[in-house]
Amino acid sequence: MKLVIGISDMKVSNQPDDVLITYSLGSCIGVVIWDPVAKVGGLLHYMLPDSSLDKEKAATKPFMFADSGIPLLFKETYKFGAVKTRLIVKVVGGSQIMDNAGIFNIGKRNHAVLRKMFWKNNIMIAKEDVGGTGNRTVSLEIGTGITRLKVSGRGEFEL
Amino acid sequence: MSRIDEILSLVKHVQPFPKVVQRVMEMLDDPETDVKALAEVIQYDQVITANVLKICNASYFGLPRKVSSLNEALVIVGHNTLKDIIITSSSARFYKGAVGEGYKLEQGELWRHSVATGILAKHMVKHIREVDPGAAYTVGLLHDIGKRFLSTFVADDFKQIMIKVVKDHCSFVEAEKELLGIDHAELGGLILEKWEFPEEMQLAVRQHHDPDALKKEPLTALVSLSNALVISMGIGVGADGLATKLQGEGLKRFGITPPDLDLCMANLLDDMERAQELFHL
Repeated sequence: MKLVIGISDMKVSNQPDDVLITYSLGSCIGVVIWDPVAKVGGLLHYMLPDSSLDKEKAATKPFMFADSGIPLLFKETYKFGAVKTRLIVKVVGGSQIMDNAGIFNIGKRNHAVLRKMFWKNNIMIAKEDVGGTGNRTVSLEIGTGITRLKVSGRGEFEL
Repeated sequence: MSRIDEILSLVKHVQPFPKVVQRVMEMLDDPETDVKALAEVIQYDQVITANVLKICNASYFGLPRKVSSLNEALVIVGHNTLKDIIITSSSARFYKGAVGEGYKLEQGELWRHSVATGILAKHMVKHIREVDPGAAYTVGLLHDIGKRFLSTFVADDFKQIMIKVVKDHCSFVEAEKELLGIDHAELGGLILEKWEFPEEMQLAVRQHHDPDALKKEPLTALVSLSNALVISMGIGVGADGLATKLQGEGLKRFGITPPDLDLCMANLLDDMERAQELFHL
């Protein structure tokens, strides 16, 4: 079954036939994780770096922010038997519009927070396709772990 | 006929903007106007009448109870809200079908992008106070109307446009302009001129991709900013992606900071959930 993940949303599955997909990542970031032994995977689509912006929103929509969404993504896969050291992590998105002053660098800030969190928690990124001006659609096949990425101007390919 | 002439001749044949809109807007500016007279005018346009009822019941407009007749709706809805509802229902018809195909937009996506920009633009008035919320909303809804008419031409030259964007690191509108002789913003401005929208609205549509838009007229700045944020969120974004230029230092004059922008995007997501009815007109 195709499971669509919207903006500020997350889904986890261990059904081999499921495909997790999120469309149109601009400055937002998509985090794809998959455990090849437990055959469980998850996809998070967060929009902003820091939940201290609005504590109330962070409580009702934790997947809106990197710092509140990423830990929940990992924890949810553990419930299905995933093990942190086995998880293959892929990161996509974080584009931004062309602005010399860097005011609209939401994509860059989104990415920086993720790097910092992963570094602190000893999480390695297996594959990454981040930045530029393209918008991206990413999908994960739960049964095989195949991750497909579509980027405007670059076509579709396996990540 | 040259390419550019072919595109410009399209403008001549653009379907007129619903006549009832201008009449209703005038009536709403007159404090003497009563509900009965208003209903008589609106009823001439069946699509608008149907849409008014549908939109009235969207939680976005926060009415205290469900309405089932036009008269009832007109009694409950405030004038400013009614203006927004009329403009929404009149604009929707121009975004039906595969209107964004040339930009690789799925059906309904160009409309979704437009409504999101309208909602955000109205919200932004809080930061850019010189602008009337109704004008902000209207221009937000119509800023990309040029795409609807340029779409088939973009489809014809799609490969060359994308090559230019990727190789020359230019924006999508710059590639449009170079390969087609006109870009969708400029074309949109001409369409608003034909529809006899006020000049400041025409200008804002025409300049919404100008890299220096934030230094221009407040309405232009506001719409270009709203559009840039909606694009960043990936809402109704096609092959053009985030390949658009906007110099952010222009925000200083309004005292807008990056956390303000983050908060606007977070709030927009909530507003969009409450505005679902608007996306399906």
